[in-house]
Amino acid sequence: MSKAQAEQPVLANKEAKLFRELLSHYEEKHLTKGRKTADQILKKHPNHGETLAMKGLILVHLGQREEGKKMVKQGAMLNMKSHIPWHVQALIHKGEKDYDGALRAYKNGLKADKDNINILRDACFLLTHLRKYDELVEYRHRFLQLRPVNRTHWIGLAVAHHLNGNLAEAKNILEWYDKFLKSTPDYDADNSERLLYHVRVLEELGENTEALAFLDKYAQSRYIVHRTSTMEYRARLTTKLKSSDAPDAWRVLIEQNSDCWDYYKGFLSVESIDYDSITDENRAAALKHLNNFSQQYPRATAPRRMALSVATGDDFTNLATAYLSSNIQKGVPSLFVDVKPLYTDPAKAQSIQSIVEKLLEAHNTPPAPPPAENGSASAEPTARLWALYFLAQHHSHLGAYSTALELLDAAMAHTPTLPELYMARARVLKRVGDPYGAARVMNEARLLDGQDRYLNTKCGKYRLRAGLVSEAGEVFGMFTKKDAVSPGADLEEMQSLLYLREEGDAHYRAGRLSQALKKYYAVSNVFDQVENDQYDFHPYSLRRTLLNVYVNTLKWEDSVRSHPAYRHAAVSAARIWVSVYDDPKLAEGPAASDSATSGSDSVKKAKSKAAKKAAQTPAATEKNGTANAQQQNTNEDKGLEPPQAKDEDPEGARLIREERPLERAQKLLAPLWADVARGVWDVETCAVAYDVAVRRERYLEAARALARARSIDAEHPEVHVRTVELKLKVQSLSAPAVSETALAALVESLATALPDELSLETFNSQYLQRHAADGGAVLGAARAARVLQAPLAEVEETVFSALQDGVALKIETALAALAFLRSIESSRADEFRAACDARFELATVFKAPEELERLRKESLGEPVEVKEETLE
Amino acid sequence: MSTSTNSRVSFASLTPNNLGTVRKLNSVLFPIRYSDKYYQDILRPEVEEFCQLIYYNDIPVGNICCKLEDKDGEQCLYLMTMGILAPYRSRTLGSQSLQRILDAAASHTKPKITRIYLHVQVSNETAKRFYERHGFKETGVHENYYKRIEPKNAWILERTIEPASK
Repeated sequence: MSKAQAEQPVLANKEAKLFRELLSHYEEKHLTKGRKTADQILKKHPNHGETLAMKGLILVHLGQREEGKKMVKQGAMLNMKSHIPWHVQALIHKGEKDYDGALRAYKNGLKADKDNINILRDACFLLTHLRKYDELVEYRHRFLQLRPVNRTHWIGLAVAHHLNGNLAEAKNILEWYDKFLKSTPDYDADNSERLLYHVRVLEELGENTEALAFLDKYAQSRYIVHRTSTMEYRARLTTKLKSSDAPDAWRVLIEQNSDCWDYYKGFLSVESIDYDSITDENRAAALKHLNNFSQQYPRATAPRRMALSVATGDDFTNLATAYLSSNIQKGVPSLFVDVKPLYTDPAKAQSIQSIVEKLLEAHNTPPAPPPAENGSASAEPTARLWALYFLAQHHSHLGAYSTALELLDAAMAHTPTLPELYMARARVLKRVGDPYGAARVMNEARLLDGQDRYLNTKCGKYRLRAGLVSEAGEVFGMFTKKDAVSPGADLEEMQSLLYLREEGDAHYRAGRLSQALKKYYAVSNVFDQVENDQYDFHPYSLRRTLLNVYVNTLKWEDSVRSHPAYRHAAVSAARIWVSVYDDPKLAEGPAASDSATSGSDSVKKAKSKAAKKAAQTPAATEKNGTANAQQQNTNEDKGLEPPQAKDEDPEGARLIREERPLERAQKLLAPLWADVARGVWDVETCAVAYDVAVRRERYLEAARALARARSIDAEHPEVHVRTVELKLKVQSLSAPAVSETALAALVESLATALPDELSLETFNSQYLQRHAADGGAVLGAARAARVLQAPLAEVEETVFSALQDGVALKIETALAALAFLRSIESSRADEFRAACDARFELATVFKAPEELERLRKESLGEPVEVKEETLE
Repeated sequence: MSTSTNSRVSFASLTPNNLGTVRKLNSVLFPIRYSDKYYQDILRPEVEEFCQLIYYNDIPVGNICCKLEDKDGEQCLYLMTMGILAPYRSRTLGSQSLQRILDAAASHTKPKITRIYLHVQVSNETAKRFYERHGFKETGVHENYYKRIEPKNAWILERTIEPASK
């Protein structure tokens, strides 16, 4: 190698000039010119490493990725002492989102040229992106030493210290910078942001006095220009310091925005009232303040609504009467959603019901008023409508579905043109287990206002819930791009998590595991993109001095995968991988074009339509594809990111056959571990984490996941079943397979939940006795009995006991029980289905298959008018 | 109760997107099913001003729909449907709507509209009185206008349109 290095030609004047030209051609993105120049140099010095690297980079831009990358590598081998080939490699890696690879290349580049500013800068961004904060501090330091006069380098170092958790050092750097700063103009936004950031660091350090003094000094001298932020910092800091200025500081903010809950909470906190946990001691005081604010700001909703959360008894009734009647009079559609959080207190729910019932009576005008010639209209008819709507939602929320439906009937007889009524009815039907009726009614709502995208989305979603996948696509397609391959493809590009999740679930319910998996991975890809997208903020935020939001954004990105959509997709996909591991035949699955998609004709029609559409637009797909990568004559810049390859596996048939399903599941679940620290971790996630770990023979990991689930809900059926399972497993394990210490730890982890002297059968029957009135637990006991290889008849009998009077059985549990019976090939499955059908009167999910098919078709129909007379 | 002070009446032109609301209204307002041609005609651009949805506090509560007819070289409006949902009647919504159509007709110049007419089932005295209050006169009875509902006859009510003075 050193031989090759020694042979690196020194460019003569002419070529050196050409090389400088080559660099500037690249900078200005004159790619063809750059390539020509590179060729000129290479003619004379075919082994010039730097030129080869630059030519390779240009070729990548021109779409000749593989050839270009080879050339860059060659260049690096020829000249390891130059930073240029490494820099070029890093750029290409970064374009391919291989951030670790890019960082390695940058580090090699710095070995060649340790003070290269450009590489240092880019490396800093990468280190931030990869959250390697201790190294970041080191690099920032070096950067600042090299260019101490640049403002952003100081701030960059302070931010690095901050991110690395060293607030004191961040403060030091900011103070140093402050000292040598000569003069700044008034009203300089960048400087203002820097000063606010300084205050933030001081506040986070707990140096509140210093922070307040700093804030006041620079706010008065007009260096800090952001008024709202200044006032918010002031209010917060004076409160922390228990200063007498605090109440006024909050009052000023409330004056500015009297509908911001945080300001009222801040005001109350001055008097040591924690709005989120009001006690009987401070209830009256809190209420007094909120009432005063309500009087002071008659148009503000916040203090009125907050008072409802605080008040109890008669106070509550009086305040709620005023609040509800004025909002019903006004016709605020979201009123129920607004007050729903109050329902955690059953007394308040009851009180709200009687208030609105009284309002309804007051507005009880007969359906057809006497034809009063004088037109003396009394009560607002719309108030009656909104009261009915409110009460319907109220009863639906409390589970009184028939009452809710009756109220909606009355409301629709009053005014049949309000889409909200149809949406509410659809939601009730969904809750009673009639997804087909729900989809039909949601479509009626959509037909009332075709340009309302919210209704359109809801209708599509409800169709997916009813298993009508391509029919949902038809509805979504009314709002998606017309030139998209399919509505779904467009929605995926727009990162519609709702769509991806619901379609994934629809496939999952129908047993099309590969297609479900495909959608769940699409959700995960959206989060990959969100993480990648933050890269651009590293250079941008520092350059524009947007420090406070930048630091917040990084923190948010750290926990972005705790989003419910990711969790749901990861957990569901992991479940699929587990079942494919248990039964590889599932991966073969029903063929994608299986009639199971939902046998209706419209599906086939839509499919062939989509196929035709896809056939019509090959030109468009080719443009984005790799097809013309080989074409030399196209000289446009294709950027450093590889083009999106055409999806060769749209239905996931190949994906689901991938090897190592458990490792794939583990990879999806891994980001969720971070949530444990935040305490957001549910039984379902723990359960699937256990399932994956136990199959990977990571028994301690499995035991830990189970213990975590137990700490959330020790009696949860999913916990119970797995406890039995793990105990059996442990009994079968012996020393060579698992170490003695591990085995001991396992035994210990189970000991508290399941004492050794207890047989598993007794353990299970005790559990069943404890929870005989809880359908979910009954099913759990039946599943555990199955694990314990109890006779089929006994397992069946346990499942059927969930149908007894007095057992709380939810529809989802009954569906799960039915699926369980089918999975163990019970001959009584259909008997159970029929029994559920009788029990859940309004539900349709328990109908026989042919009946379901009919219902599904009906749910697509539009309302039919039955009238004798027809007029042209 | 401070009611009519803050109630809002507004109108909207018909589009393919709100046609579902018109259908829903017609299905509860009239004992008649209207043909697809009716729904195509009311969307024509030339009748936009004469086919309107009526809103009360932002909720669609009625509609008024006319078509243009050429009679012996004269342009006249035929009022096909007009109705308000029961709970919203006696609030002058109908009068406001009809007046809006009459005003639009009066200021229509290309072509000039000379009169407006309509049919009322002979059992519907209330409707007849309503139109008479707005200057309509009975000009005859259309025998067996309706085929399947009783009574089958309909009054023909008509009024002339005076061009708006500029």
